[in-house]
Order: sequence, then C-alpha cells, then structure tokens
Amino acid sequence: MFLVGSFFLFSAFLVTTCIFVIFSKNPVNSVLFLVLAFLNSTFLFILIGAEFVGIILAIVYIGAVAILFLFVVMMLDIQKTTLMLNIKKYIPIAIVFASIILAEIIYLTIYKSSKVNPDTIIRYENNTEQIGDVLYTKYFIDFQLSGIVLLLAMIGAIVLTHVYRPSIKRQNIEKQNTTLATNRVKLIKVKSGQGIKND
Amino acid sequence: MINLSYNHFFTLSIVIFIIGCFGLFLNRRNMILILMCIEIILLAANINFVSASVFLNDINGQVFSIFILTIAAAEAAIGLAILVIYFRNKGEIDITQINQLKD
Repeated sequence: MFLVGSFFLFSAFLVTTCIFVIFSKNPVNSVLFLVLAFLNSTFLFILIGAEFVGIILAIVYIGAVAILFLFVVMMLDIQKTTLMLNIKKYIPIAIVFASIILAEIIYLTIYKSSKVNPDTIIRYENNTEQIGDVLYTKYFIDFQLSGIVLLLAMIGAIVLTHVYRPSIKRQNIEKQNTTLATNRVKLIKVKSGQGIKND
Repeated sequence: MINLSYNHFFTLSIVIFIIGCFGLFLNRRNMILILMCIEIILLAANINFVSASVFLNDINGQVFSIFILTIAAAEAAIGLAILVIYFRNKGEIDITQINQLKD
C-alpha cells in the first residue's frame, strides 16, 4: 500500500512540476521546477528498485544539466521585467513544496525499512553490481562510444563559445622550438676597464 | 487494493511525454524552454525504459537509460553553446526572430 500510495504521490508531483516548467513566466523558475521534476523521477526509480539509475539521474541531471541551464539563464539576462522577485509572495508556496518533499522522503524511508509488496518488485542482490556486470562486458563498446560522445560534446561546446582575442599574448610553441640560441642571446667579450654600449 | 504494474509507469511516461511535446509547441518566448522540454521528453523515455526493465526482469533497459542520460547531457551542452553564441550575435533568443540563418 505504501508502494502504490507513494507512486501516486510522486507521479502527481512529477506531472505538476512538468506543467509548471512549461507555464512559468520566469525561465529561472522553470529551471528550478525542472530540478524538482528530476528529483521526483529519482524517487520513482528508487521506489521500484532501480537505485543506480535513480542516483545517476540525480547526479547528472540536477548536478550538471540543470545547473548548466541555470548558468545560461542567469548569464543571458532575458526578460529583465519578469525577474523582479517578490520574496514574501513565494514563501507559502515554498513551504508547501518543501513539506511535500519531506513527506516523500519520509514515505521512502518507511518503505525502505519495511518490506512491503515483495511480489511486484524484483529484489536484486545488488542493482549497481548487476548493471556493472553487463555494462563492462556486453556493452563495453557502447560504453566507450558514449564517452567519445561526451568528449565531442565538450570539444564542440568549447569551440563554439570560444572567443579569439588577438590582443592577448600567447605562447607559440612552434616558434619556441624552432628558434636558435643565436637569435636570442649575444655573447660579447668585455675588455677590462671598459663598459659595453647599449645598442 | 491495487498492485503497482507496468501500466502505471507507462501511463505516467506517456503523460510526461505529452506535456513535453505540448510545451515544445506552445512556447514561443525563448529557446531555453524548448531545450528544457526536450529534457522532459528524454526523462519520459528514461522512465519508460527503467520501469520496463524492472517489471520485465531484464537489466538491459537500465543500461540503455544510462546511454540516454549521456546523450541528453551532450545535447544540453551543445544546445546551450549554440544558444550562447546566438545571443552574443543577436542580443535576443526569441524564437520568432530566428529566420536569418542564411546570411
């Protein structure tokens, strides 16, 4: 019963936050609702016994993608008029959402501590171990290819957003390596009692 | 008392997918919301994969969900980079103004 109840709680909250992502006026708000939606789907995954994917979803989406969105939204300075925040107006909504998240966490801990409904849930010995067993043997090539995809995305993002400024002094390694010592240093015999002219 | 089945998760993923598509078509304001809607659609695909993997007792679905996650991260990085250079060139990210890519 805990399982079904918490499924309906999480899924209703997930659908609601997805709707808020679309309909909120301020892009910062929609990014934060996107974070909430990912958090709820993490809870759903943990609920049905896929712990590894749930935690990876939280790490990748909330820790990387949503923060990237947040940085871009804050950097681009869109719609200056809608960014006027009235903090007092949002406090009750924040309290309601925080209490719902708290209730979800309490539900999860109760479900985890008590063994309810063992028939619908497949009890792996260890979910992470099972995924790793397949991921590094059967899907080894695909795993490496996904790493290459991430590398290409990183290089592409850097190349696209890189701005070349000619005024900045840079190290020219080729020029450094091909030069000779006689181009840079001059050896002068200095006679005693005389100085050298600076030319 | 009802038991949790795959149909529940399938319905949920369908609903989230439809919300994402709805937002994709509805938003005419800026491009960031469209990228977020794509993330929502990929989340729906993830939910479908993982729940099918759990209820069919097959681990391969969860492995594919990790691959979808990788692609989603790469897509978000490239899309946001394109967004940043577009904003740097034009000073706005209004969808209705993006019709001048030819020159």
